Amino acid sequence: MNAMQMLWSSIFLGGIAQILLKCGVRNARVSSGEKLGHWALRLLTSWWIWAWGLSFAVATVLWLLAVSQINISYAFPLLSAGYVLVAILSRIFLGEKVSWKRWAAIVLICLGVVLIANQ
Amino acid sequence: MSEELMTETHAALLANVPGKASAVRRTYFVELVVLGSVLFAATGHLLIKSGLNSLRAAGLPSGLVPRLMSYAFAPAVICGLLIYGIGTALWVFAVSKRDISYLFPLSALNYVVVALGGSWLFGEQIPATRWIGILVVFGGVWLMQQWGFEESQ
Repeated sequence: MNAMQMLWSSIFLGGIAQILLKCGVRNARVSSGEKLGHWALRLLTSWWIWAWGLSFAVATVLWLLAVSQINISYAFPLLSAGYVLVAILSRIFLGEKVSWKRWAAIVLICLGVVLIANQ
Repeated sequence: MSEELMTETHAALLANVPGKASAVRRTYFVELVVLGSVLFAATGHLLIKSGLNSLRAAGLPSGLVPRLMSYAFAPAVICGLLIYGIGTALWVFAVSKRDISYLFPLSALNYVVVALGGSWLFGEQIPATRWIGILVVFGGVWLMQQWGFEESQ
């Protein structure tokens, strides 16, 4: 895998990780009167949560490998593609309603991240 | 609408003056948890960075394994990882309460905190375009919590 492929794999996997996390906490809802610590322990037995942890870790390693070869000011703005990806995936896999207002906010945030990285 | 959000709204209704029930006040608890998560994660990042900086200044051992060992036993790196872990735990809690398409863009505040913290701690210059970017991210985050909130569970 070359550096650009690692970079995009990292962004894609990072987005998938957020979807897996949401699936995990959705499946393990806090039941009424349950202690937060007990809920946290219950989360640790969830395959979704382990899949999240694993994909998050792999995404981080891929990111570190990629930015050791690519200029960080070039790689960094691409991370904002993750917000668009998560919005699309959340709609497909979680049935979230992404209104045009949310899209407007996402576009603005992406623009801001690109400007922060620009030098 | 979920049960939890219903109770939240109900509580907000009860907290209001009778007769003014139409003006439902939303609670910002989850948004504050996200802010906490961002601050912890960014502090963790900055601590890890300062730990790595001082290791580099002291001279790193050659070879991958000794180098990784010196990273793993640096106090600033360990503290940074622990604080980053607290940030992650807060994030998991927040995700259990709201839509991911609503919350994930809010985490962009992390870049703002790291940019500001980096300039404060390491004397990194903030060029004009970066200041504009910081303001634009703030604007987007404000817009999201203001506009994108509806049906966010």
